[in-house]
Amino acid sequence: MNVKVTFFFLFFINFYFAQSISGIVKDNITGEAVVGAKVVLDGQKGTSIVKLDGTFEIKKILPGSYNLKVSSPNYTLLEQKITVVNNQNVKVELLLNPSNEKSIEGVILTGSRGSDRNIQNIEKNSDQLMNIVSSKNIQLMPDITVANVLQRVSGVNIDRSNTGEGKYPVIRGMDKRFNSTLVNGIKIPSPDNKNRYVPLDLFPSELLERLEVIKSLTPDMEGDAIGGTINLVMKDAPGKELININASEGFSTIFTKNNPFLSFNHNVINKKSPSEINGEDYRAVSSDFPRANLSYTNRIMPLNYNFGLTYGNRFGKNKKLGLLLAGSYQNNYRGSSSIYIVPNAEPNSGNVPTFSDILVRNYSTQTKRLGINAKLDYRFNPKNKISLYNLYTTLDEFQARHTVDSIFAIQRTGPGSGNVQIFERTFRQLQHIYNSTIQGDHQLTDNLKLDWSAVYSRAKNEIPDFAQYSALHAVYQNQRVTQDQLQGMERQWTRNTDKDLSGYVNFTYSPKFFGLKSSFKAGGMFRHKKRDNYFNSYSLAATLNADGSPQIFTNIFDAQYGFKGTNTGLAGDQGSNNYTFNEDIAAGYLMGKISLTDKLEVLGGLRVETTRDQYNTLAAGNFDFKDGKISYKDALPSAQVKYEINNHQNIRASYYKAISRPGFSDIVPLRITGDVYDEVGNPLIKRTRSSNYDVRYSYLSGVANQFLVGAFYKNIIDPIETTVQHLGNLPGNIVLTPSNFGTSVNYGFEVVYSKYFGNLGFLANYTYTHSEIKTNKLQQTSSNLPEIVQQKRPLQGQAQNIGNLSLIYKNPRWGLDTQLAFVYTGERIAQVSAYKDLDYWQKAYTQLDFSLEKTLSKKFSLFVKVNNLTNSPYELFLKQPNVYRSGKGILPIQDNDKRINVQRDYYRSSFLFGVRFKM
Amino acid sequence: MKILHLFLIGVLLSSISCSRFEETKTDLYIHTDAPSNPVSDAAPLHGSIKGTMLKGKTYTIDADVYINKSDTLVIQEGVHVNVTNSAGIVVKGVFISLGTKENPNWITVPNVVKTDNPGADVNSDPAYKGLWKGILASTDCPLMVIKWTHVEFGGAAVLGLFSDIGFSSGNKGAYDIYFQNPDGLFILEDSWIYGSVDDPVRVLGGRVEMFRNTFEKCGYTGGEAVNLKAGAVGDFAYNLCIGIATNGAKASNKSATTAQTNMRFYNNTFVNCGFRRADPGRGGSINYEEGAAGMYYNNLVVNCRYGPRIVPNPIADIAHLFYGSTFQYADNAAVASEFYPHGYIQVPQTTDFPKPSLFLPNNYQPGDVYNGAALVGLNDPLFVNAPVPTPQGHQAMDYSAVQNFNFSLKLNSPCVGIGFTAFKALGTEQNFPVSSKYGASEITPPGKDMGAYQINGTGNQHF
Repeated sequence: MNVKVTFFFLFFINFYFAQSISGIVKDNITGEAVVGAKVVLDGQKGTSIVKLDGTFEIKKILPGSYNLKVSSPNYTLLEQKITVVNNQNVKVELLLNPSNEKSIEGVILTGSRGSDRNIQNIEKNSDQLMNIVSSKNIQLMPDITVANVLQRVSGVNIDRSNTGEGKYPVIRGMDKRFNSTLVNGIKIPSPDNKNRYVPLDLFPSELLERLEVIKSLTPDMEGDAIGGTINLVMKDAPGKELININASEGFSTIFTKNNPFLSFNHNVINKKSPSEINGEDYRAVSSDFPRANLSYTNRIMPLNYNFGLTYGNRFGKNKKLGLLLAGSYQNNYRGSSSIYIVPNAEPNSGNVPTFSDILVRNYSTQTKRLGINAKLDYRFNPKNKISLYNLYTTLDEFQARHTVDSIFAIQRTGPGSGNVQIFERTFRQLQHIYNSTIQGDHQLTDNLKLDWSAVYSRAKNEIPDFAQYSALHAVYQNQRVTQDQLQGMERQWTRNTDKDLSGYVNFTYSPKFFGLKSSFKAGGMFRHKKRDNYFNSYSLAATLNADGSPQIFTNIFDAQYGFKGTNTGLAGDQGSNNYTFNEDIAAGYLMGKISLTDKLEVLGGLRVETTRDQYNTLAAGNFDFKDGKISYKDALPSAQVKYEINNHQNIRASYYKAISRPGFSDIVPLRITGDVYDEVGNPLIKRTRSSNYDVRYSYLSGVANQFLVGAFYKNIIDPIETTVQHLGNLPGNIVLTPSNFGTSVNYGFEVVYSKYFGNLGFLANYTYTHSEIKTNKLQQTSSNLPEIVQQKRPLQGQAQNIGNLSLIYKNPRWGLDTQLAFVYTGERIAQVSAYKDLDYWQKAYTQLDFSLEKTLSKKFSLFVKVNNLTNSPYELFLKQPNVYRSGKGILPIQDNDKRINVQRDYYRSSFLFGVRFKM
Repeated sequence: MKILHLFLIGVLLSSISCSRFEETKTDLYIHTDAPSNPVSDAAPLHGSIKGTMLKGKTYTIDADVYINKSDTLVIQEGVHVNVTNSAGIVVKGVFISLGTKENPNWITVPNVVKTDNPGADVNSDPAYKGLWKGILASTDCPLMVIKWTHVEFGGAAVLGLFSDIGFSSGNKGAYDIYFQNPDGLFILEDSWIYGSVDDPVRVLGGRVEMFRNTFEKCGYTGGEAVNLKAGAVGDFAYNLCIGIATNGAKASNKSATTAQTNMRFYNNTFVNCGFRRADPGRGGSINYEEGAAGMYYNNLVVNCRYGPRIVPNPIADIAHLFYGSTFQYADNAAVASEFYPHGYIQVPQTTDFPKPSLFLPNNYQPGDVYNGAALVGLNDPLFVNAPVPTPQGHQAMDYSAVQNFNFSLKLNSPCVGIGFTAFKALGTEQNFPVSSKYGASEITPPGKDMGAYQINGTGNQHF
C-alpha cells in the first residue's frame, strides 16, 4: 500500500523534483551494511539515514553538482562529488573504511586484499568455509555469552547446563568433543575436568570483535576439528579513542516465593581437602567438614547485573602504540525446576524399561563471570608489527540443588507413598582461562611475510567441597509419615590445571606468476601441555543411636556423622583419578594457493602432526594401565577449489582430513563414582580420524542479502562416544565409558538465507544432518539374561534438523533496533543406553528470545534482552510404548502412548535491562 | 543322533544312581601328600603368598597379601590367622580354608574384646569397626572354599586394593568375604561370620553353596548376611543370622551376565534382624528383587523388622519364584504387622505359620497394610535357650550375637515337623561338586523342622 502511495506521490512531484540520489553504504572490508550512517549533501537540508538493508535515498533535489558526505561512528568520513542530471536518479555504491585498521586474519588478506576487487565479506574470501557473527550483531542479540550466540549460527546447536545456559557447541551434528576452540586463531586449553572442549559460557560475548565458526580446514590450521573450529576474535585497538560502557540489571522469573533462590554460605568452603591440609596420613573426622555450606537462605528474586567497559586508543608519534582494554563482569542468578525419572540400570525381562526413582530437583545457580581482554600493539613501521595479547576469563559458580527423591523400590504402592529421600547438594566451581600471546608480523620483502606467535595459556578448574547429604522418611498407605532419618554425607574435592606453552611460525610467499596471484605458505607449531588432576572424596555415614536405632534428622548442624570402618577417613589411594597428563604436539605444513584464472582459485597442501601423550596416575603398582605413553602421527592433506561465477555468486568445493584426540579422562584409566553409573576411562581408545568433503554455493546481493547452500559428507573412522556399557561383561560393571565405534558417516546440507526489506530483516538458516553408527547393545531377554545385539542409530547429540529464524526491525531514525530470534533443535540422542532401543532422546527444542536497543542520544542507548519467552522445557524421552500412564506404577509428566517421558526441566524467562554509553 | 546321545546319557545316569544304591562301605588307607610349599610362620606375612598354612599354626598378616592367579592357598585345620594393620587378603587364585568341627580356623584381628552384652553402645562396638579389609576375591578367583572358619571384623577401607576388586576409590570399606566370578565356585560351610561394616558376604555371580553358618552382628547401618547378585546360583540353608543390619539373605539379578540369579533359601533361622538399617521398608529377613528367581521355604523368622519380601520394582522373577512354610514370631505389633511387608508383592501362603487366613482381613491384597497386633507373642518357636521373647527392659535389637544362647529347638517346639521337603537343593539338582576339599562337604537337603536346627541333629552344627 505504501509503495503505491509513494509511487503516486513521486509521479506528482516529478515535475519539479524528478531527481534523486539513492544507493547503498557498505563497510569496505566486511561488506556489511553500515546501518544508521548519515548521508548528507552539502548545502542541502536534511539527512538520510542508511537503512537496515544498507540503502538510502535522497529525494527532491535539483540538478547540479553536490558534495556528498557519509559519516558513521568508527568509520572515516567519506566525501564524494556527485553530479545530478535532469530527470535522473543517481545510483551510488559507497564504501566506508573503518577508522580502526582492522587486522583480519592474515590468510584472508594475502589472497585478496591486494587485488582491486572489493572484499565483499570475509566469509566469501576466507580460505575456509566459515560463518561469522560480527560484534555489531552480537551486541544486538539477546545473548550475553559466546555459547548462546553460537546457537544462532547455521549448522550449530548447543548443549546446555542444567540451568539452561548454553555451554558447548555441536557443529553439524558432531558432538562437542569433535570441535576445537581458538582465541585469535590460537588454541586454548580447557578448564573442563575431563575433556579438551572449552565451556563457552566462560566468555562474555561483548569482548568479541567477531565470532567465527570455521567448518573446513586448511593445512595452516590445527587438524583436530572434525566438526569445526570456533574462533573467538577479540576486540582490537581502534584508530581513535573509543570508550564504551554498559550496565544492565535483570532477573529470572523462575525464582518466586514458592521456588526461592537457595543461597548458601560459601565462605566456609575449604579450598583444600582434609588430607591436603593435615597430611596424607590424616584420618578425617566429621568436624573437618563445615555444615554451613549445606544450609540455605531463601532469596525471592535476586537481581542479575552486568557491567562492561571497553577503552581503546592509539598513542605516540604516528600512533604507533595501540591499546585496547575490555572488561566484562556478569553476575547472574539462574535456576531450573526439573523432574527426572531415574532409569533402572537394567531393564526388566523382555527389555522393558523400568525406573528406580522420581527426582524433583530445583537448581539455584549464581554465576559470576569476569572477562578481561587487553591488547597492546606496536607498529614499528608499516612492515613490522608486534602485539601482546592477554585474555583472562573466570567463572565462579555457586550451585545449590534441592532434590525430593521418591523411591520406587521401597514400599511404594502408588503416587504419594513409599520412601522419600531429600537430598541437599551444594558446590562452588571456579574456572578460569588465562592466555597470553606475543605476536609478530613482518613483511620481509615485497613477497615474503613472516608471522609468529609465542603463547602461554593456563586453564584451571576447582570444585572444592562438592557436598551432599540426605535424610529419608516414609509415607505409608495410610498417609502416616515417619520422622526423617539421617543418611550419609559425601564430600569431594576436584581440581585440574592445564598449562600450555606453544609457538607458531608461518612464512607466506606471494609471488605473481604471469600476472596471476599465488601464495605459498609454510610453517609449523609446537605445543607442550601439562595437565594435573586432583581428586579426593569422603563418604560419611550417619551414626546410629547407642541402641542401634537410626538417627533422626533435625537440622544439618546437629546431624552426627562418622566414618564407617577403619581408615575410611583417609584420603585413601584415590589412585587413577589423580594423574598428570603431558602432551607434546608438533606440526608442520606446506600449502599453496594459485589463481588459475581471474575466477578460479585452487588451494592445497599437507599438514603433518605428531602427538606424544604421557600420563602417570597415582594408582598402586598392581594396577594395569597405571601409566601410559601413546604417540601417533597424522598426515592431513587438504584441497580446495573456488570458482567465482560473478560478483555475486561463487562456488567452492573442499576436501580435508582431520582428527579428534580423545579427552584426558577418556584415556586415563580413572573410575569416578557417578549419580547413576560410574565413569571409567579407556586407555586403549584411539583418536578419531575423518575425511571431510564440502561444497558450497553462495549468492550475495545488496549488502547483506545472502543465499548460501552447502552440503557436507564426513567419513569418520573410530568415532568416540561415551556410552553406557557392560564392561568386560563383569557383574556390577555397567559403566559410562568412551569407546571407538567402527566407522560412521555424517552428511547433510545447510541453507542460509537473509533478506532485508528496508528496515525489516529476515534471517534464516536450516541444517539437515544424517549420521549412522552401528554399535553393540544389550537386550534383556525373557530369561533375565542380556544378549548382545547390534543397533544402528545417529551419533550422540546430533539432531537431524536444526534451524534459526530471526526477525530484525531497525529504524535508524528512531534509533531503534529489535530482534526476535527463534532457535529450533530437532530431536536427538542425549544419552546412549547400554540396551537396545532404550536410548535417551531429547525432544525437539525451541527457544524464543527478544532484544531491543533504543538510542537515546548520540552517546546513550537503552537495551532490553529477554530470554526464553515461551518457557520451553528441556525434555528427554524413551522411544518405547508407554506402560506407565495408569495403574500403580503411574509416572508423572507422561503425555504419549508411544514414548516414555523421563525428564522435563523448566528454566522460565529472564529479563535484562541496560544502558550503554559509547564514545 | 540326538536321541542316541540322550539314550547314552540316560544309561550313564541310571548306572550312577544304581551304583549309589549298591554302594559298599569301606575304610581303606589313603595317603596324604606332604603339604606343598608350607607357608612359614616365622615372620609376619605380606605380599604374594601361596602354598599351605600348616595345621595348628598361628600366622600373622601385617600388610596386604595376594594369592596370585594360578596360585593356591590352603589353610589346614586349627590355624589362626591374625590380621594386623588393617591389612587384607586379595584372592586372584584359589583360596581354601579347611577348618574342622574339632579344630576350626580363625581369620581375625588379635586382642579385640567383643561387647556382646545387651545395651552396649553400637557406636563403640568393635563388630562394626571394620578392623581389617577382608578376604576379597577379584573376578579371576575360580574357587573359594571356607569350612569351619571364624571370619571376623572385616570392612576396613580397601585402600590400595581398590582396583583389584573393582572399587572406584580406596577409602571405602568392603566385605568380610567378597566373591565375584560368575564362572567360579564359592563354598561357605559351618563357619562363623562375626561383625562387618556392610554386607559380611557379597557374591556377584558364581555357583554358591552356603550351609550351616552363623552370622552375627553384621552391617553397621546396612548390610545383608549375604548379598547375592549378578547371576549367583545355589543354596543358602541351615544358617543362623542374628542382629543383621538389614536382611539375612538377599537375591538380585542385577548385572547378571552369564546366568540368572537363582537362589534357594531354606531352613534358615533369622533372629532380631533389620533394625539398624537407616531407612524404613528395607527388610529384615529374606529379600528377592530385580529379576532374581529361586525358592524360600522352612525359614524361621523371629523378631525381624520385616518378614520375607518380594520387590515389585525392579520386579523379581515371580514366574520362577516359589515359596512357603515361613514360620514367624513377633514380640510387638509393629513387627507382626510386617510379617507380610506392606508395599510389596509376596503372596501369603497357606503353609505359612501362623496361618494367614487367621489374621489377614478377607479383602487383603498382597502388599496391603494390616494390623498384626493379635499375633504378638503367639507361637513362640521354643528355642532351647534364647532371648525370645525379648527379655523385659530390652528391645530385640539389643540381642545381636549368639553368646551362650542356643537356637536349636525344644522337642515341643511348634516348628518341629511342619517343614516342606518336596523340593531339592539347587546344588543337588545341578550336581554341585561335592568334595572334602574342592567342593561342598554335603548338600544338605531340605529339613522337616523350621529353621536351621533339626531335631534329628542335622542342619546347623553350632551349639
